[in-house]
Amino acid sequence: MSLPAPTRNDEAWRYSDISAVAAAWPLPAPESIIVPAGGDFARTILQDIGSIHQIDIAIGKGAAAAVHILNIGGDYGRVELNVTLHAGADFKLGAVQIGGATQNLEIITTVTHVEPKATSSQIVRSVLAGTATGTYLGKVAVARDAQLTDSVQSVKAMLLDRSATANAKPELEIYADDVKCAHGCAIGELDAMGLFYLQARGIASADAKKLMLQAFVAGVFDGAADEDMLTDAALKKLGELV
Amino acid sequence: MLQITNLHANVGEKPILKGLTLSLKAGEIHAIMGPNGAGKSTLGYVLSGRPGYDVTEGSVTFNGHDLLALEPHERAAAGLFLGFQYPVEIPGVSNVQFLREALNAQRKNRGEAPLSGAEFLKVAREQAGALGMDMDMLKRPVNVGFSGGEKKRNEMVQMGIINPALAILDETDSGLDIDALRTVGDGINRIMRRPDKAVLLITHYQRLLDYVKPDFVHVLADGRITRTGGAELALELERDGYKELAA
Amino acid sequence: MSDELDMRDKAAWDAAEKVADYAHGWSSDIETDFAPKGLTEDTVRFISAKKNEPEWMLEWRLKAFALWKTMTPPDWAKLNVPPIDYQDAYYYAEPKAKPKLGSLDEVDPEILRIYEKLGIPIAEQEVLAGVEGARRVAVDAVFDSVSVATTFRAELERAGVIFRSISEAIKEYPELVKKWLGKIVPMHDNYFATLNCAVFSDGTFVYIPEGVRCPMELSTYFRINAENTGQFERTLIVADKGSYVSYLEGCTAPMRDENQLHAAVVELVALDDAEIKYSTVQNWYPGDAEGKGGIYNFVTKRALCQGRNSKVSWTQVETGSAVTWKYPSCVLNGENSVGEFYSVAVTNNYQQADTGTKMIHNGKGSRSTIVSKGISAGHSNNTYRGLVRVAPNAEGVRNFTQCDSLLLGSLSGAHTVPYIEVRNPSAQIEHEATTSKISDDQMFYAMARGLNAEEAVALIVNGFAKEVLQQLPMEFAVEAQKLLGISLEGSVG
Repeated sequence: MSLPAPTRNDEAWRYSDISAVAAAWPLPAPESIIVPAGGDFARTILQDIGSIHQIDIAIGKGAAAAVHILNIGGDYGRVELNVTLHAGADFKLGAVQIGGATQNLEIITTVTHVEPKATSSQIVRSVLAGTATGTYLGKVAVARDAQLTDSVQSVKAMLLDRSATANAKPELEIYADDVKCAHGCAIGELDAMGLFYLQARGIASADAKKLMLQAFVAGVFDGAADEDMLTDAALKKLGELV
Repeated sequence: MLQITNLHANVGEKPILKGLTLSLKAGEIHAIMGPNGAGKSTLGYVLSGRPGYDVTEGSVTFNGHDLLALEPHERAAAGLFLGFQYPVEIPGVSNVQFLREALNAQRKNRGEAPLSGAEFLKVAREQAGALGMDMDMLKRPVNVGFSGGEKKRNEMVQMGIINPALAILDETDSGLDIDALRTVGDGINRIMRRPDKAVLLITHYQRLLDYVKPDFVHVLADGRITRTGGAELALELERDGYKELAA
Repeated sequence: MSDELDMRDKAAWDAAEKVADYAHGWSSDIETDFAPKGLTEDTVRFISAKKNEPEWMLEWRLKAFALWKTMTPPDWAKLNVPPIDYQDAYYYAEPKAKPKLGSLDEVDPEILRIYEKLGIPIAEQEVLAGVEGARRVAVDAVFDSVSVATTFRAELERAGVIFRSISEAIKEYPELVKKWLGKIVPMHDNYFATLNCAVFSDGTFVYIPEGVRCPMELSTYFRINAENTGQFERTLIVADKGSYVSYLEGCTAPMRDENQLHAAVVELVALDDAEIKYSTVQNWYPGDAEGKGGIYNFVTKRALCQGRNSKVSWTQVETGSAVTWKYPSCVLNGENSVGEFYSVAVTNNYQQADTGTKMIHNGKGSRSTIVSKGISAGHSNNTYRGLVRVAPNAEGVRNFTQCDSLLLGSLSGAHTVPYIEVRNPSAQIEHEATTSKISDDQMFYAMARGLNAEEAVALIVNGFAKEVLQQLPMEFAVEAQKLLGISLEGSVG
């Protein structure tokens, strides 16, 4: 017996395209990745067809995992990561989602620090046009024993059209006192003065927007094995929106 | 080169320029001086097409073409350069990338071939060198983390690389120490003092005019040119203030 | 700070000192007239009859009661609350010797003695003693469930301000009450608000007429006194065009073993250019060091910034209650309306707090600021939960949110759950959150300057919460600073 499909009352699916989820239900078991102690893991996820990815990653003592996500395709695309960090482990996420028309794109992360001295860093950038919806639900949980956790979330979204929607929920659940946990979240539009500055130097409005958006997502894919592929795909998608 | 006739402009609902007339010929350097709130910066923004600055009456032609009909980037391609009073920070976009895109966009607009990376870098290196700017700064994001003086210097490097026909320099002297002022002044003379170019210097003080000698000085007050004279007018203004002379 | 303030400060501090574990943990001996135990339609009718309410009010209550029976308590908060037996409680109690008073001078001496013992209503005591130049504060004292006295009524009436218990207002100003009651927090809003609609015992009604700046700060001190009595207060403040009012709400409660339910509803309306400043110091009994007893505080507070340029500012210092479930919110409908939420929430021992705000931006150019400071000690859990929403047509919206958590000791929890939903590109929304502890260096530095550990913690915590505390009116700020220190007693070893 599989569980019934989620509804909007389920916290992790509150902004999802519920009919698309129901159509895909039941989902296969999440992919499970175990990074052994001292290991090094990297993964690139290009979601460009409208699919649901669920990945569990357990990062062993002193091991490191880096995940880069470009979420751009299909009517409904979801990438869900469930990450557990053991002592001294490190997790890095660099994610970009770009949506137009009626796309519903989401990135959901639960990053749990179960042991001391682990570090996690998540950077998520969303660009949304038309009536697209982009969602980031990111929970960082720090267990009682996970002292000296260092965790940071940087979440930014840019809306290009009225009625495009950006949702963000950078959540902290902290049970240890000696930790450094911070998140910052900003949602807005392209800086008008910046755009004018570019135009005053001879760059046409659409190109200026593209350049600003390119800057907005720049750096997220730094160090990814497929950096060029991801960057090119992101720029191509941006070009379609502007 | 530039003919402004009876220009009226609003910022939002508020009338700022109220019938400004001014004519610049190639080879001339004009200075516009005036008290705060007279409309000096507005003039620069109206000429370069900043959104929200609406012309309600009058005309502006640039080399015979209707300047006001052009988009901001088309005005740039036509050879107009605005030096910003407060140059804008653009995180994530490097100076080099910005300038190369800007220059090649202008060239394309004029039907010229784009510069290759090597060609561009050569020009950029020359101009940065002439203005005493480190190449490392050119690789940094546009104006991000620059001091006030560095931003103004960067505006001059950009002007050197873009090499416009008409430069409107809005309070380029503000925030500069005496050495930087000299460097910027030398830059303006080197790049712009040519028979086929013109400069409109917008300034509150006359100290930049010690380095860049204007052919004409205009007093802008309450949205109009109220007086015009030679370089000596600037000194008079410095001595007597605007109150005496504006009316 | 002036000598006078220092003196007040000391008097109140001394009063607090006299009580060992919990500063306000005692109960007084006033006979109580209870409604029959349990909650049925008859209870609702009893309350309404007891208050001589008009028929429309009874019908409204009965409708709410019928609705409530179909509802379930919300379960999304990060709170662990044992099931509440709503039939095992009293829903109405009033002091038997109900005085008919023209001023506070005539208040039952027993009640005055309690106020004195609390050391809290400092400004009010000065007013009572007729102190020359005392700060004007009008008090609508809610002792248990019934307003026993309202002062300064005459002066307020001269200004056209209506300041009444809500029971009186229902009878005297039915049209004004009908117009807004249940319009900001609808009857069906949530389980606890609906319950309040059915059984609210009393509360406060304020109306500030057009263009009037309320001549004094309005204040209500709440106390739960009777054993097993739910407290269901209802407050409605209407600020007409261009008016201003500052309202202070403070609570303390005596020590009891049984858990007591508190489900208040506060509704604020600000019309064009009106401003309401609503300040709360909440110090209900938090339970003992083992987590036994304490108030369950399920409060619904919401403001409707309906008019252009209207402004509502919520400031709260939450130190009490075993369970706090509270989200003072602003619905920003008016163009260029402003909503503010400044909060300090302290939890110690086994307290649980899930508190925050909602800023719903529907109006063009509306702006909001959220500053939340959570301090968790002992085995407690402290959650900030907030929502910032921008509607598609709301151009030029601005929000800034700062959520900081301070953890004292390694057995507590600090949580931040911000929801951000933006549908207009011109919005500028910024949210920042940090988590920290008091560093050993800070402690050592303060102690090297002569403070003991508890004083050092109180000092550092007050610094952490300063941004919020400075939003409070002066007499509240002094009290709030003391409360932070008292609430954290025993949190450092």
